[in-house]
Amino acid sequence: MSLITSALRTGTMLGALALFTANAFAADITLWTLNFSSEASNNAMQKIASDFEAANPGTNVEIVTRGVDDHKTALRVAAGSDKGPDIFFSWAGLGLGGEYIKAGLSLPLDKYYEQYKWDDELAPAAASFSKLYPGGRQGVPFTFKGEALYFNKALFAKAGITQEPKNYDELVADAEKLKAAGIPAITFGGTVNWHLMRLMDVILESKCGAEKHDALMNMKANWKTEPCAAASFAELEKWSKNYILSPFMGIDNAQSFNLFVGGRAAMMLEGDWLVQQLAEAGNLEDYDIFPFPTGTNRLYGFAEYHYISSKSKNPDVAAKFLDYFMSTPVQQASLGQFSTTSINKNVAYKDLRPLDQKWVNIFNTYTQVYMNGDQAFPLDVTTEYFRVINEVASGNVAAADAGGQLQAFIDNRH
Amino acid sequence: MRCLECLVTSKPIFSDQRTQAALLIAPAIVIYIVFAIYPMVNVVALSFQHWNGLDANKEFVGLDNYVDIFTKDPVFWGAFHNTVIWTILSTVFPPLVGLLLALGLNQPIFGRNGLRAIFYLPVIIAPIAVATMWRWMYDPFFGLFGQVLTSLGLQAWVQDWLGNRNIALYSAFVAYLWQTVGFSMVLFLAGLQGVSKTLIEAARIDGAGRLNVFRYVTLPALKPTITVVLVLAIISSLKAFDIIYGLTGGGPAQSTQMLALWAFTQSMQIFDFGRGSAISVVLLLITLSVVIPYLRWTRKSEENEE
Repeated sequence: MSLITSALRTGTMLGALALFTANAFAADITLWTLNFSSEASNNAMQKIASDFEAANPGTNVEIVTRGVDDHKTALRVAAGSDKGPDIFFSWAGLGLGGEYIKAGLSLPLDKYYEQYKWDDELAPAAASFSKLYPGGRQGVPFTFKGEALYFNKALFAKAGITQEPKNYDELVADAEKLKAAGIPAITFGGTVNWHLMRLMDVILESKCGAEKHDALMNMKANWKTEPCAAASFAELEKWSKNYILSPFMGIDNAQSFNLFVGGRAAMMLEGDWLVQQLAEAGNLEDYDIFPFPTGTNRLYGFAEYHYISSKSKNPDVAAKFLDYFMSTPVQQASLGQFSTTSINKNVAYKDLRPLDQKWVNIFNTYTQVYMNGDQAFPLDVTTEYFRVINEVASGNVAAADAGGQLQAFIDNRH
Repeated sequence: MRCLECLVTSKPIFSDQRTQAALLIAPAIVIYIVFAIYPMVNVVALSFQHWNGLDANKEFVGLDNYVDIFTKDPVFWGAFHNTVIWTILSTVFPPLVGLLLALGLNQPIFGRNGLRAIFYLPVIIAPIAVATMWRWMYDPFFGLFGQVLTSLGLQAWVQDWLGNRNIALYSAFVAYLWQTVGFSMVLFLAGLQGVSKTLIEAARIDGAGRLNVFRYVTLPALKPTITVVLVLAIISSLKAFDIIYGLTGGGPAQSTQMLALWAFTQSMQIFDFGRGSAISVVLLLITLSVVIPYLRWTRKSEENEE
C-alpha cells in the first residue's frame, strides 16, 4: 500500500514538474493580422515568425490572417472573451486602432520602448502615431504610408508648368493653367468616399494650419464657426466644379487610376504604394511626385500598427517578437515586402527607382504627419464627414452650410 | 408464437400522427429558434441598448436609439424615403414586365424554352455579381451605355448614372429589375398554366377578342398568382441590400441609402449595434405589416378551398 502511495506521489510530483517546466518554457504567441493581397507579404510574415522561433527555441509564433472586415469583427469578438491575440494589427488612427485603445485592449508599451530603445531605430513620422493617446505609448509601427500628388510630366509641360508649386495658391494657379490647356487637373473616384476625402483633408491642412486642423479633427474646434473650415469646403467646391475630372461621383479609385494612367487627368493624390501600380500599368518615367503644398511642413499619411493586447499572457515575448520584427536586419531583409519603405530609419536603400527614392527623401524630410480624416475621426463621424464632403462636391450642399451640418452631427453624438 | 403475435398486433411506437409530426418537425424548429428567433429577439433587445461591440457591458438606454434615428440621424429618413420609392417601383415594374414576358413566352413560339431560360438566368446570379456587371456598364467613361450613346452621336446623353443623386437610385433599380423580372415571369408562367383553356375557347366562341379574353378570363384566373407576386416583390424590395451595396454603397452622399443597408452600415461598419438594431426593428415592423395580412389571406384562401 505504502509502495503504491509512494509511487503515486512520485508520479504526481513528476507530472506537476513536467507541467511546470512546460509552462515555464512554453511561449506561444499569436499575431492576428490581415491576409495581404500580396503573397510576398504573407510569405515574409511567415518567414519572420519562423526565423524568430528558430532564434528562440521553445517559442511558437502563430500568424492568423483574415480579410479586413473579418479581422475587425474577430477583434470585437475577442474583446468580449479571454481568448484572443497577443499582438494584433490595426490602423493607428483614432477611428480604427483608437477604438481598441479606448476600450483598454492595447497594452501601453512605454516600458518596452525604453528597454529595446525602439526610438533609436524607428522613423520618427512612423513612430509618432504611438504617442496619439493618453496613458502611454500604444503599439509599434508595422508600415507607414505617405500620400502625395503624383503628376503626369507631359501634361504639366503641355500646360506650361515648369516647376512644382511651393504653396497652395501656386497649386491652384497650376490647376487653372491645366484647365486653360483643356486638361482636368486631378482625378478622384467618388464611390469610395475616402478617395475624395483626401482632397478635403489636405485643403483643410492648407487653409487652417496644423493646429486648427488637428483641433477640428479632434472635434475640439467648431466646424460651424471656424472660418477656415468654411473656407476649406469652399475650396473643395471650387476643385469639384473646375479642376476634378468629371464625372467623378460614380466611379471608384480603380477607375480613377485608369483615367490617370490613360492621361485623362494631370494629377492624382495617392500613397507611396502607387509607385508599383504605376510601374505595372505604365512607364514610371512619365510621372513624378511632390507633397501637397500645405505650408505646414507636415506629411499627409497614415500608419499601420501592431498592438500588444492587454489580455496577452506573454507580453514580454510579444514585445521581443516585435523588437525582432522591427530590427534593422529583419527590416532590411523584408524591404519592399510590406511597403516601399521601412519603418526602420537605419534600413539602407539601394538601386531604388527614382520615385521610390523620392519617397525615401520625403520620409526622411518630414518629422510630423497629419492623418487621413477616416483615421482621425471616430467611425460615425467619418461616415458623416464623407456625406458632407460628397454633398459639397456634388453641389447639393453649399460650402457655407457644410461645416454646420458636420458640427450638428458631432453635437448630437451620444 | 405469442411474442410474434404481440409484435404484429401491438401499436408501433409513435403511432400517433401528432407525435410523429412533432418529432419530424422538431429539428427544424430547433434550428429555426437558434438561427432565426433568437437573433431576432436579440436584435430587438439590442435596439434598447448601447453597445459598440468592444465594451464588456451593454448599456440599457431605453428608447434613445429610436429617438436618435428618428430625430438626429441625417441619413435615416432619406433611407426610409428611398426604401418606399424602391418598394413602389418593385411592386409595379418587375411584376408588370414579368407578366408581359410570361404572356409572350406562353405563346407557341419558336425557341420558347430557351427564351424562358435566358430571361430567368439573371435570377440565379448573385446580386453582388450583378452589381459588379452593371457598375461597369454604367461607367461614364468606359461603360457600355456611354460607349453606345457616344457611338450613336448622343454623347450629351451620357450621364454619371451612379454618381448623380437625381438618377442614381433609378439606375440601380434598372439593374434590380433586370435581375428580378425573371422570377415574376416564372410565377406568372406557372399561373398561366392553370388558366382553363375551355373557358378561353368558350369566350372566343362567344366573340371575345384577345383583349377581352385577357381581361375577363386570364386576369381573374391569375388573381392568386398576382397577389403572391406582389407580396413577394414587396418583401424582396424591403430587403434590398446587396445590389445597392455593390452598385453605389448607398452613395453618392447617402442618396441611394436604404434601410437594410443603413442598418448594416450602423452595425457592421460604424459598430453602433444599438442604432443598427433599432433600424432593423423598424424594417422588421414594416415587413411584418405586409407579411401578416398576406399570411392571413393565404390561410383564408386555404380554408375556403377546403
